[in-house]
Amino acid sequence: MSVSLARDLTEAVGTPRAVFVKWPLGHPLGEPHAPLQQRTVIFRALHLLVTASQPGVIEDLGFRWRRETYTEPDWSKLEGTKQEGTKQ
Amino acid sequence: MNRIYAIPSVAQLWASRAAQRSAALVAGDGSIPFTRLHKPLSAARGILITTGGVHLKTQPPFDMENSDGDASYREIPDNVAPDEITITHKYYDHRDADADLNVIFPLAHFHDLVRQGVIGSLASRHFGFMGHIEGEQLAILMKYSAPEVAAKLRAEGVDFAFLTPA
Repeated sequence: MSVSLARDLTEAVGTPRAVFVKWPLGHPLGEPHAPLQQRTVIFRALHLLVTASQPGVIEDLGFRWRRETYTEPDWSKLEGTKQEGTKQ
Repeated sequence: MNRIYAIPSVAQLWASRAAQRSAALVAGDGSIPFTRLHKPLSAARGILITTGGVHLKTQPPFDMENSDGDASYREIPDNVAPDEITITHKYYDHRDADADLNVIFPLAHFHDLVRQGVIGSLASRHFGFMGHIEGEQLAILMKYSAPEVAAKLRAEGVDFAFLTPA
């Protein structure tokens, strides 16, 4: 799965799964020395990895640049998570 | 010049124009490859791939003189120390990534996730590309570099790749 900083470009090349952040180029995980922000992006990407059921999904995370407060993700939510439509 | 792309709306305008050029490069019927993750994440093996110009200080830097870019790639051992890594890429402002590699190559976070048991394991090496590739270098990337790395991913037995652009 990919982080996208350029939504139109990601759509054009056909990425299997991507999370999009409208942030400056060179900052796919966010700001330097901001581990909670960086880990939140990773969490959302891994969540899409385990839940996406069709190709080409681009999830807009909607985070504003330098105007959000982040907390440590609840990683346990990734355990046992299945793709949509998959039998539990 | 590359600092203007630090403005998100400018970056999106660039993306829109680049997308028009790139759409014609996608071969075949336009379908997007897709494979479901067939095991729990806690048993899956991951790998990092970045187009941010990341490489070891001991490796040759990416070619900044060719206007078509550099289609080669660098292998980065999983057990690398952060101070062994550098970035060669003049087409984006990487001062923040220089200050904290996790901005573009979050290996430390993925090591944490393996220790926590969120992810099963990581590959023994990761891959660094330089993501400003056009013309002749793009052809080399598609014909040689990308298939080579794909074969290495299979050899590593990875279940997923985490890709970060510049």
